[in-house]
Amino acid sequence: MSTAITNKIRRLRFDRGEMTQQELADRVGVTRQTVNAIELGKYSPSLEVAFRIAAAFGVGLDDVFAYGTADENVKEGRAQ
Amino acid sequence: MSFREKSAWITLTAILLVSVLFFLHGPELLDPNPTPWTLHAAAACIGAFIAIEVVAHLVLYLRNPKDARTPQDEREQLIALKATRLAAYVYVVGSFLAVLTVHHGANGIAVGFFVLFAFVIAEIVNYATRIIYFRRGF
Repeated sequence: MSTAITNKIRRLRFDRGEMTQQELADRVGVTRQTVNAIELGKYSPSLEVAFRIAAAFGVGLDDVFAYGTADENVKEGRAQ
Repeated sequence: MSFREKSAWITLTAILLVSVLFFLHGPELLDPNPTPWTLHAAAACIGAFIAIEVVAHLVLYLRNPKDARTPQDEREQLIALKATRLAAYVYVVGSFLAVLTVHHGANGIAVGFFVLFAFVIAEIVNYATRIIYFRRGF
């Protein structure tokens, strides 16, 4: 069983009028490719970038990122 | 594709093109008394590499100035660091092997040639690694 950082960036972008990855990248100060890598779980951002992403959506860090086993994250995702 | 990934592709292509042309003349360069033509060919290869880099990056910049001016973000910096570290290992090992050729009768020019070859291989590893990381996401 592996632990992983998961995120709800795709959902949060959707909830904010289909904000594009480029718009989020401009707000956070990273490239669009980095936002895409974070969103797909391929790259775990630094704490600073994680806070900036949360701030861009106007929510807390816990509302964007979660840490746990892959199974827990899947269960949590189904419950929402 | 980000500006840095395009830049890595340009540099990798330029290194491969120029180094293949250069090292095709390897046996001539190993001559203890290189002819002026050989030295001119070496200088031309370096000039060609610089010209390809400058022109290609200028075209890239003119096509998307905003993308080109964007500073490296943390992921791009990490990719560059990881690729450079791997390339450094390749260069160190290659250089040691180049020095060891002295025991097989290589002269000073040959050792210099092998060290240069190790440097080129290390740079190919450097930019190929960057491209792999960019393609994978990280």
